[in-house]
Amino acid sequence: MNTNALSAKLLSLANDSFLLGHRNSEWAGHAPILEEDIAFANLALDELGHAQLWYGLHQELTGAEIDRVIYFRDAAEWRNTQFVELPKGDWAFSMTRQYLFDGYENVLLAQLVNSSDARVAEIAAKIRSEEIYHLRHTSNWVKRLGLGTEESHARMQRALDELWGYALQLFVPLEDEAGLIAENVLPDLKILREEWQDKTVAHFLASGLIVPETLTPVVTSRAQHAEHLAKLLNDMQQVARLENFGVEW
Amino acid sequence: MMDSQWHIYQVFEQERADLPHRNAGSVHAPDAEMAMENARDVFARRPNCTSMWVVPERAIFPKTVQELQTAPLARADSPSARVDLQSTPLARADSPSARVDPSPARVDLQSTPSTPETYLVFQKQGQTARETFVAHVGDVSASSPHHALSLALEKFSGKNVFVWWIVPERAIIKSESTDAPSMFDPAHTKKYRNHLSYPVEPIMRQLKSAREILENDGGQMTGDE
Repeated sequence: MNTNALSAKLLSLANDSFLLGHRNSEWAGHAPILEEDIAFANLALDELGHAQLWYGLHQELTGAEIDRVIYFRDAAEWRNTQFVELPKGDWAFSMTRQYLFDGYENVLLAQLVNSSDARVAEIAAKIRSEEIYHLRHTSNWVKRLGLGTEESHARMQRALDELWGYALQLFVPLEDEAGLIAENVLPDLKILREEWQDKTVAHFLASGLIVPETLTPVVTSRAQHAEHLAKLLNDMQQVARLENFGVEW
Repeated sequence: MMDSQWHIYQVFEQERADLPHRNAGSVHAPDAEMAMENARDVFARRPNCTSMWVVPERAIFPKTVQELQTAPLARADSPSARVDLQSTPLARADSPSARVDPSPARVDLQSTPSTPETYLVFQKQGQTARETFVAHVGDVSASSPHHALSLALEKFSGKNVFVWWIVPERAIIKSESTDAPSMFDPAHTKKYRNHLSYPVEPIMRQLKSAREILENDGGQMTGDE
């Protein structure tokens, strides 16, 4: 097996979950209602926990310490999609993004639990039980906001229009992914995308929302980032990067 | 004008299969399905939840011992003593959620059954820490909440009771046993949700002493206090 290819994949999975969790944590104390403030913070924490699992295996394979990878790498070294680095926007935007991501993770994890790599399969099984609940929760929100008031519907449609092309980047394979697919370590993202698309389009439709016609991701390379990532990292990393504090993180 | 506040649901949590469901607190939610999810996220974050119930608050018929002493049940058979099930959130037609598919838990609480139905009886049995919860003690079959309470007073009066709650079973939304793996079980392994797994205090102490050392050495520490 190509260990470098697997490490690259693990890093991309970890980066995506981590940044989405970080973005959504910005809602803590600001969500529209107390109960959902707690619920959304729970989802964000879950994503950080999932990232920790992927980073853990990545560390096992590469020796790269989790804290170093998160707090001491510049934007150019991150391998997340632009989808997760976009600013949190309004509530409709964050909820739609989380829903799209949950849908993606559910189709992905359903296959990864059967990965020929036992370590990958084990992590996927752990994450999957939670992602089933995530998708249930965010599906319900999408439906209620989509069918809610005129304003909530308009905001949801705007969020979907903006996010859809970015979400498609989740299904762009990495350079060396084909070998891992052949060895049944990873599922084929092309097939997953069809399944994801069928399910999400149907759910949006049932929620009164129309999915844009575009079939092309806004961006395909995970090495390419918008200015949002550098800003986010600057906020997130500055304390860890302060010198002379004599603190072991 | 439409009320912009969501409805209140009381939440009952069961820690172990052999323990009764007991009241954990309340959540706001637009409908029963979201009430269950909010209840899960607010109250089942920590381990040891095996089952959860949510009940629209308006479906609960509550009585304290003091109320029963000042207005004995025999004379309490007035319209005001009846539970207000008519305005219960589950039956609201004007809320946005009513346009969403009916949830599996949707029940018609408007009809007043003439035939007996099952009521669940809850009690608060004391004032000390372990006893402050309103917990499920058993069921009765009755034709009204009021009737159910009078039966419960005969059947479950053995212990010292401070508060009675009578709840028609059809008003209770219950988690399914198949929900547990995704709703409750993950909490068992979530160390990162426990504040004790973040060594913030030792780190802050280290920071403070590092700062003091630097300041005493005339170091270049700058920044806001």
